Amino acid sequence: MNTPLSAEGITKSFGATQVLSGVTLSVAPGEPVGLFGPNGSGKTTLVNILSGLLLPDAGAVRFDGKEITRLPIDARYRLGIARTFQIPHPYPALSVLEAVRVALAVDTGKRKERGGTLEDEEGPAEDLLARTGLFDQRFVPCAQLSQGCLRRLEFARALACRPKLLILDEIFSALSAADEDDLTALLRAANRDDGTAFLLVSHNPPLLKSLCRRILVIGEGRIVRERTAW
Amino acid sequence: MRNAAPFRGGWPAAGIGLLLLFPLSCPDAFFLDVFTTGFLLAAFAASWDVVGGVSGQLTLGHALPFGAAAYACALLTSVAGWPLPLAVAAAVLLAAAVGTGIGALSTPLAGPFVALLTLASGEIAHEAAVGNTFFPGPGGYAWGGEGGIPVALPWRDASPFSSYYTALAFLCLASFGMLRFSRSGAGLILRAVAGSPITAQASGVPIARFKRLAFAVGSAFAGAAGAGFALHVGRATATDLSLELSFQAATFAAVGGRGTIVGPVVAALVLHVLFQGLSLPPSARVLLYALTLLVTLRFFPGGVVGTARDLASRLGGKGMRPPRRRGRNRSGEGTP
Repeated sequence: MNTPLSAEGITKSFGATQVLSGVTLSVAPGEPVGLFGPNGSGKTTLVNILSGLLLPDAGAVRFDGKEITRLPIDARYRLGIARTFQIPHPYPALSVLEAVRVALAVDTGKRKERGGTLEDEEGPAEDLLARTGLFDQRFVPCAQLSQGCLRRLEFARALACRPKLLILDEIFSALSAADEDDLTALLRAANRDDGTAFLLVSHNPPLLKSLCRRILVIGEGRIVRERTAW
Repeated sequence: MRNAAPFRGGWPAAGIGLLLLFPLSCPDAFFLDVFTTGFLLAAFAASWDVVGGVSGQLTLGHALPFGAAAYACALLTSVAGWPLPLAVAAAVLLAAAVGTGIGALSTPLAGPFVALLTLASGEIAHEAAVGNTFFPGPGGYAWGGEGGIPVALPWRDASPFSSYYTALAFLCLASFGMLRFSRSGAGLILRAVAGSPITAQASGVPIARFKRLAFAVGSAFAGAAGAGFALHVGRATATDLSLELSFQAATFAAVGGRGTIVGPVVAALVLHVLFQGLSLPPSARVLLYALTLLVTLRFFPGGVVGTARDLASRLGGKGMRPPRRRGRNRSGEGTP
């Protein structure tokens, strides 16, 4: 099976505390994968390593057959690995539209190929906001958004690079039922319509079961179980 | 988009119109000189805002590119005998290179550490300028040190009117250039980096490259102001590299409104003309600048423009002003 993302033997310690000890996992193209585990099991550390925010002490991360272990998060985004944060860090002085334009404006090479300018990104930015239900709030400062809208904005920002893989860190936590339903539908649509694979970190087993084809359970710094059928 | 508000309408045109007419109503050489210096300082304050406001890199050594360009101008014309336009161009390029270097050094740093690094860089250059004197030729006076280095100007005595209008034209052009930059795609990305570096990075922004760009662009404009200042006073001195000058630029930006470009320009002009026009001694001026900064930070943390914006948004709704260029709704219909 072709694996856009694979991690082998990922180990990470903070001082004397060993957080990850030899984690190995893979995500196939278009595959929805869940990552479940108790608090302190190393989920966020693993996500930070897979997305390029942290360097592992040992082990390797590969994407589309290329070694990307030491590649920073911005370069991984341009390759097609997008992530969202458990606690969103919005741009306080930017509007919702501008926040998405930042993700679209970054030179992925595509814009230059089209010979376009930054203004040309406004249409795609508005389309993304319409898709994520934020179009009517496009001129609202990010700092004034509700928790649910911030998560939608995170999702829109992540979708801006047309990712091959989405890494979603607790994107459903602290959301109302309505917001959770909307985000679930968005995630399903991205997976079904665009073939985007995702690695969804969550504390909610029923949600993971409803969205993912495979669930990895992490405990004490390693993958202790893998469930594929229910 | 958001920063367009202060420059909309006829206010800038009215301000420029008044400044164009001022020498005709008050042809006093002292006041013309105060304004000429004010225009150059205003451009310098706006260049600080490109780095410290738009990009959020708190620099306390912004006098370094200003002074480096002033010294380059003086040395290249007086010692190397370069023609003035070539010397000015080289001085601006040198300032941009200095800024790029500082930007590269500060890339792994954030917040107060950027301030400390830039402060140290500026002070090293200032001390080097103060402590070095040399003889440009046999039997001449010593150059350098506190007295600085003269600029070899192709004219003898520039009229206060021509200096005034040249400096005003420079301020308008430089402000326009910096505003365009701050509203460009790069400016948008820099505002994102200033607001949340981690989100910007997770959106694919190579923040180290953009930090260097901010320092390079801000320093190039600071260098242009520094070269202009050296031409105006006829020499480059160690004061051009001083912490006091960097502090002044930061104060103008804080009072006017960080990240707005226009705010620091207006604040620099008003405060400089007010404090200088009152013929206060330098120590009293420093005290007044410090007090103005304290009052602003305590009661108007967004500066004049930021406070005005907050008031406007409270009165007119919480949304940001949409772009003028074009707009559309979800059905694809354009809005006027």
